[in-house]
Amino acid sequence: MTATTARAAMTAADRAANPRTRRARMRKKKSWQSRAILNLLLGIGALTMIVPFLWMVVTSLKSPAELAQFPPTLWPQEWRWSNYSEALRAAPFHLYFRNSLLISVGHTVMTLTLASMAGYALARIPFKGRELIFMSFVAMLMIPTYTKIVPQFLIVKFMPLFGGNDLLGQGGIGWLNSWWALIIPGGLSASAIFLFRQFYLSLPKELEEAARLDGLGEFRIFAQIYTPLIKPAVATVGLLTFQESWNNFLWPLLVTTRDDLRVIQVGLAVFQQLESTSWHYLMAGTTLATIPMVLLFLFCQRYFVEGFTHAGIK
Amino acid sequence: MSTRTTRGKTAAMSIAAALALTLTACASDSQGATTTTGGGEVSGEVALLTPIYEGTEGQRLLEDELLPQFYEKYPDVKVTVDYTTYNKLNEKLTTSVASGLIPDVMMMGVGWVEGFAERGVLADLSERGITPESLEGDYSDEIVRAGMWDGDVYAVPIMLDTRFGVARMDLLREAGYDAPPTSWDELLEMSEALTIRAADGTLERTGFDILSLDPRQMFETMLFSAGGDLFTEDLSAPAFNSEAGVDALQFVVDLVHESKVEDIGFSSANADVNPLISGRAAMAITHNSLWTQTEEAAPELLDQLEPFVIQGEAPGMFFGGTLATMAKSSKNPAAAQALLEFLASPGPALAANEQRGNVPALTELLDSDYVKGNRLVQFAMENLDSAKREGGPSQWLEIRAEIKPAVEAALLRQKTPQEALDDLAATAKTAMDR
Repeated sequence: MTATTARAAMTAADRAANPRTRRARMRKKKSWQSRAILNLLLGIGALTMIVPFLWMVVTSLKSPAELAQFPPTLWPQEWRWSNYSEALRAAPFHLYFRNSLLISVGHTVMTLTLASMAGYALARIPFKGRELIFMSFVAMLMIPTYTKIVPQFLIVKFMPLFGGNDLLGQGGIGWLNSWWALIIPGGLSASAIFLFRQFYLSLPKELEEAARLDGLGEFRIFAQIYTPLIKPAVATVGLLTFQESWNNFLWPLLVTTRDDLRVIQVGLAVFQQLESTSWHYLMAGTTLATIPMVLLFLFCQRYFVEGFTHAGIK
Repeated sequence: MSTRTTRGKTAAMSIAAALALTLTACASDSQGATTTTGGGEVSGEVALLTPIYEGTEGQRLLEDELLPQFYEKYPDVKVTVDYTTYNKLNEKLTTSVASGLIPDVMMMGVGWVEGFAERGVLADLSERGITPESLEGDYSDEIVRAGMWDGDVYAVPIMLDTRFGVARMDLLREAGYDAPPTSWDELLEMSEALTIRAADGTLERTGFDILSLDPRQMFETMLFSAGGDLFTEDLSAPAFNSEAGVDALQFVVDLVHESKVEDIGFSSANADVNPLISGRAAMAITHNSLWTQTEEAAPELLDQLEPFVIQGEAPGMFFGGTLATMAKSSKNPAAAQALLEFLASPGPALAANEQRGNVPALTELLDSDYVKGNRLVQFAMENLDSAKREGGPSQWLEIRAEIKPAVEAALLRQKTPQEALDDLAATAKTAMDR
């Protein structure tokens, strides 16, 4: 009997003698199989998500002649890096980029500050009418943005004591054509308050009680005890607010008439005329416009994913 | 210690952020109201709202070339320009009207003027000397009517967007045809002959593409070709569900479902590239900008593009466009009118059309080098007399949004053409009677 045959005979004997080991191996094999299937499905999902992005980048490097070909080429025949410089020359993108950044950062800072306070109050401070206020915020989530545009515009226009308006909001243009109109109305959202409330609700009450015993006031409990524990919420709300603000097109277009107050999405619209679109320039501009969002996501990825998992957002 | 430092940093950053926001907001200056200044009859500040002249090129044209010419003539006028896009022009105008901050001069599309004129937003230009009679010599009748409401002029045309048939002559010749179709029968026969499918039935080339433009504009072109109209002469009721309208819609539905000339989803109004350029269509209803698109993507094909009116009971050609209007509430009406007339005058209008590859509305520009060098624009101008426009009633913007779903319902065979158009007519009538 050779050594191999002996080992095989022993293994067979072991198997027969130890059904637990056999079951463990079976489980291991099964788990490997299910992990492979899961990875395959996730891989397909990831590919589906990333293909449009890659297609955008590839399209941004093709010539109009190549874009006109059918079937479309997968890889650029000639890498047209000049599409980027030409696209940037089509509009004052440096200005639009700066404006978008200022507005997005402004919205994010305001939302994180105010929405976290509101969310904390609704979650942890008992007061009369709290549920009613919370339900009102939930109801606000149901109102489509478009229906709010004209009333919001009128509020901005009739803002008292601004832009030549008197105390009754008459006579001038209010906040129109100013940074106020671009930043203040987008500085807080019902969805951000809702998300923060849900996060604060999930934290144990014992922390608050211990903090009170140590003599901490309400604001310090909010700022020093609870808020540091909800970093995923801060990252999630921050990213969502920044993204929404960065992609906003209609509101900045409506409340400003000056080109020096316009944002990057307005600049990208230059490439989409009524009957024709310069896809190579549009994709080059869009690729550049997505960079801040991609970077932000990369830096906050861990908290962002945690936040989404925690809040059950899809 | 480290907590305190972090806290300190956080506090400092918060204060800095708040300060920055406040300073930024305070630093912005408010737009002053326009006032009439001394020094001449035509003076003051006027605001211009425009969906054209966009981008660096457009801005350069307007601000570096055209407006300096205007200022030479009217040194006491200052123009502030608000650039927008056609897609958001309606929202921009609506909020302007709602807030009472209406720009002095507004560019708007064909079919838009009626609604804003009825609501008293626009100035009656007839009262200011721009009468239908004064425009008749410069524009074709239908174009003049595009700027009129209730018998008076409210807008002056600057540029037109036209839709008509275009054939790829190289593909037609391959199939044994030496000219585009001259009737619906020929159109059907040629469309079928020029359509190519793979062995498994996959469509490789459509003989006649009807899906690469907005379904509304496609239907309207065919409706006009069938001899139909959108509304009755007195604008009291819809007329697109007449026999001509049903015939037009039935024709395109049959092209898709009976003749199998084109499959739903083969192309769309948002397609990356026009199928005529990529060789995926032999003929199509298309926009005059196809010329500039081809110049950029495949200049060798320019000689092969042959435009044609879609001849049925009547010549089928559709036009929209951009017109200049003036606000009734303008504080500087003389300056606003001067700007409107300047932008619609031959030189500036030609430059604006050239920048966008569009069709000049002024008849005299037919002889310009630009028009002579653009076969599709030239064809459009030569045939403007037989072109028809959309619009008519003041509720047009509301009605037009319903046309696309109705046409699509027929194309998808969810409804018969008659049902789709009757339902649409009922919706339109309700809007018109409101």
